[in-house]
Formats: sequence, structure tokens, C-alpha cells
Amino acid sequence: MSKPKVGIFGLTGCGGCQLEILNLEDQLLDLFAAIDIVHFTEAITEHSDNYDIALIEGSVATKHDLERLEHISKIAKVIVSIGACSGIGGVNCLKNLYGVEKAKELVYGDKKEWIDAIETKPIDEYVKVDYYIRGCPPNRSEIVDVIRSLIVGKIPEIPNYPVCVECKRLGNTCMYDLGKTCMGVVSRAGCGARCPSAKSGCEACRGFIDDPNVNAQKDLLAKYNLKIEDIMGMFNLYNACKKTDRKTI
Amino acid sequence: MLYKVLKKGSYDLFLAKLIADFEFIGPVKKDKATHDFKKISDIRKLDVNYKRTTIAPAKKILYPSTETLLQYEINEDIEMSVDYEAGEKILFGIDACDVNGLNFLDRFFSDEMIDEPYFSKRRKLTVIGLDRMPSDTNFSLSLGKEYAKDGFDLFLTDLNNRYFVRVGSEKGNDILTKYADVSDAGEDDFKDYNKFMDTYRKSFKLKADINNLYDNYELIYNNKDFWNRVAKDCYSCGSCCLVCPTCFCFNVRDDMELNLKKGAKTREWDSCMIPEYGLVAGGHNFRPDKENRLKQRYRCKLKTFIDRFGTYSCVGCGRCIEACLAKINIAEDINAVKKEVSV
Ligand code: SF4
Ligand code: SF4
Repeated sequence: MSKPKVGIFGLTGCGGCQLEILNLEDQLLDLFAAIDIVHFTEAITEHSDNYDIALIEGSVATKHDLERLEHISKIAKVIVSIGACSGIGGVNCLKNLYGVEKAKELVYGDKKEWIDAIETKPIDEYVKVDYYIRGCPPNRSEIVDVIRSLIVGKIPEIPNYPVCVECKRLGNTCMYDLGKTCMGVVSRAGCGARCPSAKSGCEACRGFIDDPNVNAQKDLLAKYNLKIEDIMGMFNLYNACKKTDRKTI
Repeated sequence: MLYKVLKKGSYDLFLAKLIADFEFIGPVKKDKATHDFKKISDIRKLDVNYKRTTIAPAKKILYPSTETLLQYEINEDIEMSVDYEAGEKILFGIDACDVNGLNFLDRFFSDEMIDEPYFSKRRKLTVIGLDRMPSDTNFSLSLGKEYAKDGFDLFLTDLNNRYFVRVGSEKGNDILTKYADVSDAGEDDFKDYNKFMDTYRKSFKLKADINNLYDNYELIYNNKDFWNRVAKDCYSCGSCCLVCPTCFCFNVRDDMELNLKKGAKTREWDSCMIPEYGLVAGGHNFRPDKENRLKQRYRCKLKTFIDRFGTYSCVGCGRCIEACLAKINIAEDINAVKKEVSV
């Protein structure tokens, strides 16, 4: 079996997802043995346009991002989105709340014309994404799982159930019982309930489950005397480009 | 069954000796109002006066939420190895309905075959039950699960100045003889035990009218309007199953390393309330909507095992009621069935 050629790319984002791949440390040699990494924005100087699989980090926030994404999508047979920015837009979408022009002005003042920013969008607004590795940053084990699944030709098992499942498996006290707000009940698991385990409400960095009960969420807030603003702040952090009806694998 | 009496003054010493000699698991305070079954090495950590249920039921000791079933290595042949953790343990301070929960799982995991990961631990577990006043969401009385007839080695009931001890096994008797200073229970002890049990049974606030549910469920099963109402707020979050002392469903994951040579099969608690549960190859889902999932869960809890084992699989502990953010309440829904069918 010849090794699949893989390109790892970064659009607008912090680079943390690519870093998580480098952080695989004790599995890196196995990774290099299993796939042929021909392009790696964060780690390799050389670049190549000869790849079958593209792992793309970051959202589309500039015209330049869009050109690169279109170029990659013409070459890659399989596109894998890594991280919140790429998959759901992530924190970069906060910009959209101000409007692009206003945001440019706020940040760059009279130099704003130098910036080619456009409305931020996740990559699947432009190209078809085959698989999503979710989270901010993603779980290393999930990165490995998706790559391995691609090699052996099976569908990766990415959870489509809420964070509550992982909290209960861990025996965490519910954030609502601690008087905190939490998005876990409508948010996609897979993170191992990282934030609630540290007694901090889930902020939905992996986006929403496929069929979230949004109406019940409103009732819930009312029951716990919370206001819609309480949850919108949490909601917007990663999901301001929200599309709760986004269907994935 | 032997009946003994343990003096209040000897209780602490008894427990301290057990803690010193065994891996001892009991209820400890976790956060604010929550408790959890944890390993205890200092008797001061033990807190049996918990007002709610524990977050996770004691089943996690026998059937952990995530457990490696086997490891494999692919060379010329496939080599497999199993390693089920199984040291002697004492589980202390679980109440009667939780003991009944364990009894159900014992039966379930030995029904068609012996589930070795479960029984390797069960065989080495000594269960010391302790009666406690029902929490607000406990409706075990309505299901006849408020009293444990068996499934324990020792069962203690606090009679203020002494403990009434029911000895359920030889192992229990050995432990009691070796570690505690006890005497045989006499008439007065039985009288006080009866008094306690009467008060205890009168303390249940939540009640479910389960009479006829077995039959009524047939009628209600296809009443879409009813289920739409009952399941309206359900998030499909699965919490109700994941905190249940009798839910047994699990998913098995195959985690292979990147070298494609080594890997492990891992089971983890699953829930029939989440959409993927009914998803099969080809993308078909047997229960795509929450209404169908909830009525199936209730059927499993309240009807299926009447047919299979002659008992409910729900023990009325109330954990699912506490855990549900949508405030879906199995006891109230049992009553709602009755009402719907009666009017
Ligand atoms: S805990 Fe409540 S909201 Fe969650 S799946 Fe169960 S019934 Fe639905
Ligand atoms: S269904 Fe609910 S009340 Fe019944 S045993 Fe399970 S958690 Fe307890």
C-alpha cells in the first residue's frame, strides 16, 4: 500500500491545531510511517502541490484565505477540517458581529485599507468537507483516529452526542447544580468534557449536535433564572457564524 | 438470614478496621449538594447522610463508564490479552434501592452468558448496605424496591443508639465476626427496626401509580400526542441513562494505534436517548426522534423486564429525575399514563 500524500494547511487561526499534530510526540514516528506529509504550513519550509488529503486549519477570513482554499480544493481528493475555526468559524466569527468594515476600523484604524478581510466563514461554506476533527484545540487522539480511519478506509467515529454524556461518564457535578451556565447539553462531545471537568461551563467549541433542542434550552434558562444574554455570550464565542442545522458525517 | 445488633460506640471502630484492611468505597461529599462513591482511606471523609442520590450509581465499580475489554497485537497471528482489574473491595453505604439496582445488573450480566469483566469484580465485592431516608426524587416504594431482600453481605439500619444488622452471606458473617463486636438481635431490636421501617416507608414524597401500567402501556404506546407532550423538552442528552443504576447498554470502540499493529477494544456507557443509538450501517435510524426514544426507555424500565425477569428494571432511585435538565420525571410520567388512559 503506497502511503497517502497529505498536506496540512493553516488559514486564519492561531496555529494551535497544527501544533497539536506536532504535539503527538510519541506517535509522530508512526504518523510519518503511515502518511507522507508533503506540506505542513507550520512545520515544513518546503511546499508541494502533490497531495491526496488536505487537513485544513483556520477559517476563511481574508480574500487570500479564499484563494488558497480554492486552490487546495482543486487538488485534494479528501478534505478534512481541523479545529473550531475551520469547522464552525470559531472565534474569528466574532468579527462578523461588528460588521467587517467596523471591525477593520476598530483594529487597524486609518490603515484599514491595507487589510483584505472579508466576512469570516467556516471552510464548508466554500468547499465540501469530508471529515471534521472538532474542538479548540482538537483532541490529539481524535486526530490520530481520523487519520487512521482514512488509511484503513472506515468512517471515523466522531461523537454526535452532547457533552452531558461525557460529564456523566466522568461523574462530574452538573454545572447547573453549581449555579453556572453551560452549553454542554446542546454541544457536541468528544473533548472529554474538558471545561466542565474544570468546573467551567462548556462554550461549544465543537459546535452543536445535529439536532439540538433549542426551544428546551430557552425553557431551561428560564427555569434557572438565567437570561438569554447569559448564554449568548457563551454561544457567540465559537459559534457566531452559527448554523445549528449544519449536518455532518 | 442472621440478625445482629452493633452498638453505636463500636460502629466507628468497625469501619476504621475495614478501611485499614480493605479497599473501602463509600459515599463522600463532592460539590455543594452532590455526593459520589469514592475510595476512602480516612473515615472522616465518609458521609452517609446525603440528601440526594449520588451522581453516578455504585454500578461504576463493577461496570466502569469506560473499560478496556481486551488488547490485541497483530503479528503473524492475532494475539489477544485480557486484564480485568479485580481486587477485594468493600462497598459501604449504598441504600436498599441501589442494592436492588446491583441485583438487577447481576441478573442481566449473567443472563445469557457470564460477563466476565463485570463478574470478575462482582465476585470480589463485599456489599454493606445502609438504610437512609428517601431523597425527594426517590419513588422506589412505588416499585417495591425500597427494601433489599438480598444482594448484600451486610445491611445496616440505624436505630439511633445501635445498628440493626441483617447478615446476608457467609462472607458478611465472617467480616462481622472478625471486625465487629455484635450481639444477636432480640425482640426489642426487631420492634425498633419495624418502627424505623414504618417511618421510612411513610417518608416517601414522590409516588408513582404503577398499577396497570404493564397493560396500559399497550394503549399509550401509539398515542403520538401523549409522547409529544411528555418528550417536548427532552434534549436527547442521555444523562438519564448514564446516571441510572440499572442501565446496561454500552458501545464498543476499536482503538487501533497508528502502526496498525496494536489496539484495544473498549466499552463505554451508551444511552438509548441519543440519536446515534439507533443508527445502523447505511445511515438508517430506527429511532430518529426523541419521542420514540423516551417511550422506548420507559418501556425498557417498566415493562420489558417484567416479561424477561419478572421485575421492573427501574428501582425508583430518582437519579434520572435529578439529572434531567428538561425536568422530565419518570414517576410523574407513570402517573400521566394512568391519567391519560383513565379519562
Ligand atoms: S436526561 Fe432528560 S433531557 Fe436528557 S435525554 Fe434524558 S429525558 Fe431527555
Ligand atoms: S430509570 Fe431513573 S429512577 Fe429508575 S432506576 Fe434508572 S435512574 Fe433510577
